[in-house]
Amino acid sequence: EVGKMKGECFRPLGRYDFLDLGEVEENTQRAQLCRTIKRFIIDPALAKLVTHHLGPDLEDSKAVIFECNPGPGVLTRTLLNSGAQRVVTLEGEKSFLPDLQALECLLDGQLEVVHCDFFKLDPMGRGSMRPPAMYTDKLFTDLGISEANWTDEVPVKVVGIFPQRIERSQLWKLLYVLFDRLSIYRYGRVELNMFISEKEYLKLMAKPGDMLNYRAFGALWQMACHIELLHKEPWASFVTSSKYKLAIPKSRLPNDNLCLVRMTPRKDLFSASLTPSNAATLVMMVKQCLAKRKARLVDRLNMWSPDSGPKLLKEMGMQEDVLTGHVYPEEYKQLFELVDKSQEFTQSWLYEEVLENTQKEGWI
Amino acid sequence: MELPEATRVHLTVGLQEPPWTSQRRHFSALIPKKEDGKKRVWEQSQLLDVLEARIQQLQSDVIVDVQHEKVQFVKASKAGIGDSSGNSPKNVFGERPEVPKAGQTISKGGGQTGKGEGKDASASKSRWMEKLSQEKKTKTKKLKQKLGLEDKPVKSSKGKLMLPGTSHKTISTKAGIKTASTVKKSKSLKNQEHTMAASKHKHTMAAAPVAAANVPIRKAKGKGKASKEPAPELSEARNRAEEMERKAEAKARELAEVEELERKLNQWAVSARPELVQDNSEARVYGDVQRSVRCYLEACVFCGDIDRAHRFLLSHHRMVSRRNLLNIGLYNIMMRVWAKKGSLNQIGRMFILIEEAGLKPNLGSYCAALECMGRNPDCSPHLINRVLRQMEEDGLPVDELFSHCVFRQDERDMVLRAIHTVQPDFQSSINTILQTCSSPLVKDFYTERADAKYPKMAFSLEELQERFSRQLSIEQASTITIHSVEAMKPVTSHMAKMRDLLAVQRLVWHKALVGALREGKIILASSTQKAVRLSLYPYLCLLDEKDYVDIMIQSLSNLPPSGESLHILAKELGNRVHNMFCIRMKGHNQMVDKLSHIYNEYTELLAKDSKEFDVLPRERWWKLEAEHSSGPSLLGDETHWPHMVVVELGTYLVDLMVKHMKVNSDLLNSAYDRKLIPVLYHMYTFRSNKQVGFIKPHPILTQMQQDAMDTTLTFDSYVMPMLCPPVPWTSAKFGAYLLTPTKMMRAVEGANQHEILLEKCQDADLHAVLDSLNQLGNAAWRINQPLLDIIISIFNDKGSEKLDVPPPNSEAPKIPRYNQQDSATFTSAEKAHLKREVVNAKKKCSEMHSLRMDALYKLSIANHMRDEVFWFPHNMDFRGRTYPCPPYFNHLGSDVTRAVLVFAEGKPLGPGGLEWLKIHLVNLTGLKKRSSLAGRLEYANSIMDDILDSADNPLIGKKWWQNADEPWQTLACCMEIANAVRSPDPTHFISHFPVHQDGSCNGLQHYAALGRDVIGATSVNLIPCEVPQDVYSGVAQQVEEFRVRDAEKGLKIAQVLEGFISRKVVKQTVMTVVYGVTRYGGRLQIEKRLKEIDDFPKEYVWDASHYLVHQVFSSLKEMFTGTREIQDWLTESARLISKSGSTVEWVTPLGLPIIQPYHRSRTQMLKATIQYLSFQITHDSKERPDTVKQKNAFPPNFIHSLDSTHMMLTALYCYSAGLTFVSVHDCFWTHAITVDTMNKVCREQFVALHSQPILQELSNFLLKKYCSGLQSEVKSKKFLEYQRMLLLLAKVPQTGNFDLQRVKESTYFFS
Repeated sequence: EVGKMKGECFRPLGRYDFLDLGEVEENTQRAQLCRTIKRFIIDPALAKLVTHHLGPDLEDSKAVIFECNPGPGVLTRTLLNSGAQRVVTLEGEKSFLPDLQALECLLDGQLEVVHCDFFKLDPMGRGSMRPPAMYTDKLFTDLGISEANWTDEVPVKVVGIFPQRIERSQLWKLLYVLFDRLSIYRYGRVELNMFISEKEYLKLMAKPGDMLNYRAFGALWQMACHIELLHKEPWASFVTSSKYKLAIPKSRLPNDNLCLVRMTPRKDLFSASLTPSNAATLVMMVKQCLAKRKARLVDRLNMWSPDSGPKLLKEMGMQEDVLTGHVYPEEYKQLFELVDKSQEFTQSWLYEEVLENTQKEGWI
Repeated sequence: MELPEATRVHLTVGLQEPPWTSQRRHFSALIPKKEDGKKRVWEQSQLLDVLEARIQQLQSDVIVDVQHEKVQFVKASKAGIGDSSGNSPKNVFGERPEVPKAGQTISKGGGQTGKGEGKDASASKSRWMEKLSQEKKTKTKKLKQKLGLEDKPVKSSKGKLMLPGTSHKTISTKAGIKTASTVKKSKSLKNQEHTMAASKHKHTMAAAPVAAANVPIRKAKGKGKASKEPAPELSEARNRAEEMERKAEAKARELAEVEELERKLNQWAVSARPELVQDNSEARVYGDVQRSVRCYLEACVFCGDIDRAHRFLLSHHRMVSRRNLLNIGLYNIMMRVWAKKGSLNQIGRMFILIEEAGLKPNLGSYCAALECMGRNPDCSPHLINRVLRQMEEDGLPVDELFSHCVFRQDERDMVLRAIHTVQPDFQSSINTILQTCSSPLVKDFYTERADAKYPKMAFSLEELQERFSRQLSIEQASTITIHSVEAMKPVTSHMAKMRDLLAVQRLVWHKALVGALREGKIILASSTQKAVRLSLYPYLCLLDEKDYVDIMIQSLSNLPPSGESLHILAKELGNRVHNMFCIRMKGHNQMVDKLSHIYNEYTELLAKDSKEFDVLPRERWWKLEAEHSSGPSLLGDETHWPHMVVVELGTYLVDLMVKHMKVNSDLLNSAYDRKLIPVLYHMYTFRSNKQVGFIKPHPILTQMQQDAMDTTLTFDSYVMPMLCPPVPWTSAKFGAYLLTPTKMMRAVEGANQHEILLEKCQDADLHAVLDSLNQLGNAAWRINQPLLDIIISIFNDKGSEKLDVPPPNSEAPKIPRYNQQDSATFTSAEKAHLKREVVNAKKKCSEMHSLRMDALYKLSIANHMRDEVFWFPHNMDFRGRTYPCPPYFNHLGSDVTRAVLVFAEGKPLGPGGLEWLKIHLVNLTGLKKRSSLAGRLEYANSIMDDILDSADNPLIGKKWWQNADEPWQTLACCMEIANAVRSPDPTHFISHFPVHQDGSCNGLQHYAALGRDVIGATSVNLIPCEVPQDVYSGVAQQVEEFRVRDAEKGLKIAQVLEGFISRKVVKQTVMTVVYGVTRYGGRLQIEKRLKEIDDFPKEYVWDASHYLVHQVFSSLKEMFTGTREIQDWLTESARLISKSGSTVEWVTPLGLPIIQPYHRSRTQMLKATIQYLSFQITHDSKERPDTVKQKNAFPPNFIHSLDSTHMMLTALYCYSAGLTFVSVHDCFWTHAITVDTMNKVCREQFVALHSQPILQELSNFLLKKYCSGLQSEVKSKKFLEYQRMLLLLAKVPQTGNFDLQRVKESTYFFS
C-alpha cells in the first residue's frame, strides 16, 4: 500500500502496474476528515466513469490533465491506471499532500502534485499570496506549459467538482477571464470537465424563449464554449467532508444530480472583430440586454445609439419587435460585431462602461 | 417604568385584532444548553488572577494607593456571591415605589445591601448554607423517587394544591419544598416572616401550611430510606449516582429560583394596571394596508377628488375581505369631508357603514358629526342631543373631543357651535395640570426651580419675531437656492457659455416634462382600473405640475457623474414631494397664523428684554397653546406615506425624466451627427449576482455641468439651519421646524414601531427627554468668518487632502484609456494591470466627487450663513442619541465644519477661561494625552510662539497647526488665544469659542460604573488620578508584553511587529470593542492602521493584523472582566428574548422607551414600468426578530441609551445653571468660563445616573415584559426555555466595590 512507503522512493512503477485504489471505507473516512467542506469522488465505479469520459484515448492524448482537489486520490489513481500520460493534481488541502506526494515519487513523471487550489487561482483579495492561492503564471511556468494559440488543440483538461458555495461566482469568474483571455485561458483553449449542480447546468443551457432562465450567464457561456453534458450522478454518490450534511440548494429547477459537463472554448470565438480587448463590451452588452428578457431589443439598441436600432435589426434580418430574451447567443455575437463596426456607436456610453467586480473575489 | 395609561382613540380598534401573543406562538424556539455553573466558577478564578495581575501593574504605575484593602474587599465579597443572588430580588422588590406596605418592611433587610453587604454577609451566608444542605437532602430523596423507591400519591395531590393548572410533576414538588424552606427561613427572621404572611398570594398562602406540614414527614421517610441505603455497591455506580445527584441538585436550585421569580412576577401582575394585557396588540393598528389606504384617501381629499375617495372607500367596504382591513380612522376621513360639506345625509350614511363594518364610532366620528351639525344653522337640537347622548353611552366624554382630536381650519369652532346650541354655557375644560416626569433623576430639576437661572438669549423680542417670519417664509417656499462657494471663482468665457447652454436646456426640459406629466396624468385618471386599486393619480395632483417638474430638474444637479441607483433617486424625489405636500397641507389647514401668534408670544420666554420666567420652553409653549385653543390644532395629523408609495411616486417621475429629457448630440461637439439623445439612461450594474437598476447621466450632461460650474445650489429648506429658535418639542409628534414635518425619533424608512411605542408612553415620562432636546436646539451659533475664508480659499484652489479639504475633480486621476489598436502590443499581464487601473481610477474619481460635493454643500451653507445667527433643531435616534436635524452642515460634522462654528453668544473668559482655551488647544493637537492638565497648560505656554505664528500666518508661517490631530479647530483655537492674550485684559475678553470636554472611552466608563469595577474604573478615569489614565496605551502595553513573549518563543510575526505596536494601532479597535466590534471588523481596522505605517513590510499586513486583533481581544479580556460579564449577560438575555419570539425592548432611566427594530428580512416587489424593484425589509415587526442582530446590538445599544441619558441629564442641569451647552454624543461643549461648572454637573449627573439600580431595573423590566403571563403554557420544551430565560434575566451580574462617589473628584473623567 502506498501509505506505507511514505518518504522513500522505490523502483518507479511501470505503466502496466496497476495502482491500488484503497478500501472505499478508509478513503471515505479520510475524505471526511478534510477541514473544509468539499465533495469527493470515492466510489471506484464513478472514478472509472469520469475517466472514461475524459477521453477514449487517454494514452495518446497530449493534453495535460489537471485534477482539482483529489483528496484521497481515487480518481487520480484511476486516471493513471487508464494510462493518462500526464496528470497534475492541484490539492488545496495540506493533509492530503503527503500521500499524493508519495504516489508522485513512485511514478516516473506521470503525476505531479502541486499544493494549489484551482478555485483560488489569481485572487483579487488582500490576503497574503501563499499556497493554496496562486497566480496562474507561476503554476503554468512551474509546470513548463507555455502560452498557446487560441486555435491550437486543447492543451489542458481540467477535471473536478465546483465547490457548492462559490459555484456561480466561479463560473462567472471563468467566463470573464475566458472573454479576456486571461488567467488559465492565456494558455489556450483549456477544457473544463467539471461537476456542477443540475440547476446551474440547466441555467447554463437555457434556450432563448425560456424567459425565466435564459440569462446573460447562460448566453455568454453558450457563446464562448461548446457545452456537452457527459453524465448525471446523484448527489449521494459523492462523499462530503462534513459532519453535517451539505444541504442541496433548493431551486425551482430540478436539482437532483451533479452534472459532469464539458466546456470546450470555441475555436472561432475570437475573430477580426471580436478580440479579447473589446470582448468586455460584448459581455456588458449581453448583460444589459438580458437583465430584462421581455424588453424589446430595438429599445436597448436605441438607448445606446438613438435611431440605430431598426437599422441594425434590419441588417441582422430580425423582426422589429424581437424581445431580448428571444435572441440566440450567436446572434448577440453577430449583433455586437455590427455594433462595433458601426460609426454611430463610437460616442455611445456603452463603451465607457467598465465592468467592475464588486465581489472582491475572482475576476478583475 | 410605569405602564402607559393612554387609552387612545385607536385602541378600541386594536382589540379586535388577534393579540400579539398568539402571533408569537408561531415561532418555535430552540435554546441550546449551557453549563452555567462551571462557567461561572471558571470566570471567577480567572477574574481573581487578572485582578492580581492588574493590581501589580497598577502599583508599579503612578497610583500606588489603588487600595490593597479594596482588593481584599473584592475577594471577600466574592465569597458571598451566592448570597446576593438570593437576596437581590427582594431588594429590588422593596425599592419599587408602587408596591404596597408589605414590600417596605422587606426593604429594611434588603434595601441597604449596597452598603452593608459585608455585614450581613455572614448571616445570610449561613442561611444560604442551611438552605443548600436541606435542598441537597431533598434532592437525594428526589433521586430515589425517580428510581421508584418512594410512593407518589402524596406529592401529586400536593402538586395540585400548589399550582393549579400545572401538571408538571417535578416542578410542583420542588415548589412545595421551596416554600417549605422559605417558611423555615422566615421563622428564623421574624420581620421577614411577617412580610411573607402579608403576601397577597393566595396560592402561596394556601400552599405554605400544607407544605410545611408535609415536609417533616417526608424528611423522616427520606432519612429512613437513606439509612438503609449504604449498600455495598460498586463505587462506579455511586459516582454516577453522585453526579446525578449533583445535577438534580443544581436543577432543583434552579427550579426553586424559578418559583421565587414567578411569585414575584405574579405580584407585579397584580399591582400592574389592566393595560398590560393590551400591550403589543396595538402594533397592528397602523398596518401597512391601513396606512396606504389612509394616505390615498387623504391625498384624494386634499386635491379635491372627493368622488374618487368615496368610491374607493365604498369599493373596499363592499368586499368583505377588504372591509376587514379598514379601521374606523379611514371612515372618519370621509366623514370629515362630508362634515365640511355640511351634508348630514352623508354623515348618517357613514354611521350606517361603520355599523355594517362592525366598527364602533370613536371621538373622531362624533367630532365630524358635530362639526357637520355646527355647519347647518338649522340643524335641530334634538339631533345634536342624540349625538351627545350616544357619545355618553359609548363612554366618550365631550371634553375629550377637545383634548384628543386634531382640528383643521375652523373645525373646532363648528363643533363648539353645535354643542352650544344645546348647552349654551359649555366650556371645554382642557386639563391644565402639567404632570412631571416620574424619574427620580430629574425630580430636583422640575421641583426646585427657585435657584434655576434659565438662560436668556441675546436678542430682543422684536429681533426674534423678525427672525421667525424670515424662517417661516423660507419653510413656506419649501426649497431655498443659495450661492455656491465656487461662485467666487472668476467666470471664464467658456463657463459663461456653458451656463447659458445649461439654462436653455433646462427650459426645454421643463417644457417637455410639464407636457409629459400632464399627458401621464390624463392616462392615469382615465384608466379603467378597478376602483380598489391604489393608483398614483391623486399623488400627482397634490402640487402644481410646475412643482413636480422643478423637483425633477433640481435632482439632476445632484446626480453624481457615476450615476445613482434608481431606488435612491426615486426615494429622494418621492420624499421631496411628500415634504412639499406636508407644508402645503399646513397652509391649507390655516394653522400658520396661529403658529405665528403663539410663537411670537413664546419668544417672551427667550428674549433678553422681557421678564424672567420660571418655566421651561416646552411648558411655556404648552400653556400658550392651551390659552389659544380656538382655531386649528398646531399638531399636524398627516400620516407619513408608506415607503412603497414614496418610491413608486419617485420611480414614476424618474421614468418621465428618462423618457422625456433629451439633448442634441452635437451640442458640445459639432463634428458629431445631430441626433436627439436622452440625457439620462437606465441601465443595470451587477453586484454579487444581483442586478441593480441605475440611472446615469449621459457624458454630455456631466460635461456641461462640470464646465458650467453652477453657481447656485438648491436645497430643501430643512437642510439649512434655522434662523429662529426651533419650536420646542411638546410631544413626540410636534417640535423642531416651523412647518417641515420632523420625527422626534429617527427610524429606518417604514419602521413605525418606535412611533407606536412613544405614543403609548405617558406624556409626562417624555418630558425630560423633550426638554433636553429643546435645550440643545436653543443653542445659537454663528460662523467663524476668518476661518471660513481660509478654508474656502483652499477649497477653491486645489484643495488639500492632508487638511481634509477635498480637491476638485480636476485633481482626480485621469482614467487610463486604451483602445483596440494599441492593445495588440500589450501582453495579457499588462492588459490585466491596465484594467485594474481603470477600475481603481474610476472608483477614486467617484469617491473624490462625492467628498467634494459634500464639502461644497457644507461650505456653501456656511458661507450663506456667514452673517447670520442660527439654530440647529435636534432630534434623536432610537437609542436616544441626539443629532442636529440639518443633514450637511452641523456641529457633529468633520473637523472642518466644527472649526467654522462658534457660539453666537459671547462670554468673558473670566479668571480661568484662558487656561481652558490653552488646554483645549493641546487636546485638539492630540499631543500630551498622558499629561496632567497643568502639564498640558505648561506645554501650551511653552509653544506660544508657534501658536501666535499659526494665528497670524496660517498659510505662510511655520504651519504648526497643520500637524495637529484636528488642524482646523486647532487653528481656530490659536486665533482665539491670540486675540485673548493681546486684549488689554484677557479675563474680560469676550469669547464665543466652544471648549470641549471629552469622555475618555465613554462606553467603557459606563460599563465600569455599571459593574462597579475598580480596575476598569481606574483605567477609564472614573477614579481620581494625578495624570489621565489612557486605556488605549494600557492595551497597547499589554499587547506589547504578549508580543515580546511570543517573539521570544520564536513566533515570526511577533518578531516582525517589533517596534510597531502603538496606541494608535489599537485605539479604534479598543474603542469599538465596547460597541460590539467583531474580530473580523477589528482586523480590518488594524489592517488599515498598519497600512498607514510606511516602514511596515506590506507582505506581513494580513498576518500581523490577524495576530494583533487576537492580542487586543485577550488584553481587553484581562483588563475588563466586569465589563465582559455585563456584556455577556446583555447579549445572552437578548438572545433568549429574541429566540422566544420577542423584540428586545427597554426603558432608559429617563423614561425613554427603546425597541430594537431588527427582524428577519422580507422581500417586497414594486412593479414599476421602468423596472421591477425589490426591497429587503428588515424592520417589519410582524416578522420574527433577527436573533443575531438583536443579540449583538443589545449591549452597544444599551450603553448608548445610557450615554445619551447621561448627556440629557447634563444638558438639563446645565440649563438650570444658565449655561450654554451642546453635545457631540460623549463630547460636551460650553464657553471657557463655564467649563468648571459643566464639569461639575457632568460628574454629578454621572454619579446620580449610576446610583440608580440600572441593571436591576432592566432585569425587572425584562422579566415583567417577557416572562409574565406565560406560566400557563406548560408544554415541556417551551416551559424549559421559558425557565432558562426567567433565570437568566433575573441573574443580574455581580458588581464590584468601586465607590461611585469618587467620580466627582476625578479630573480626567471628562477632559
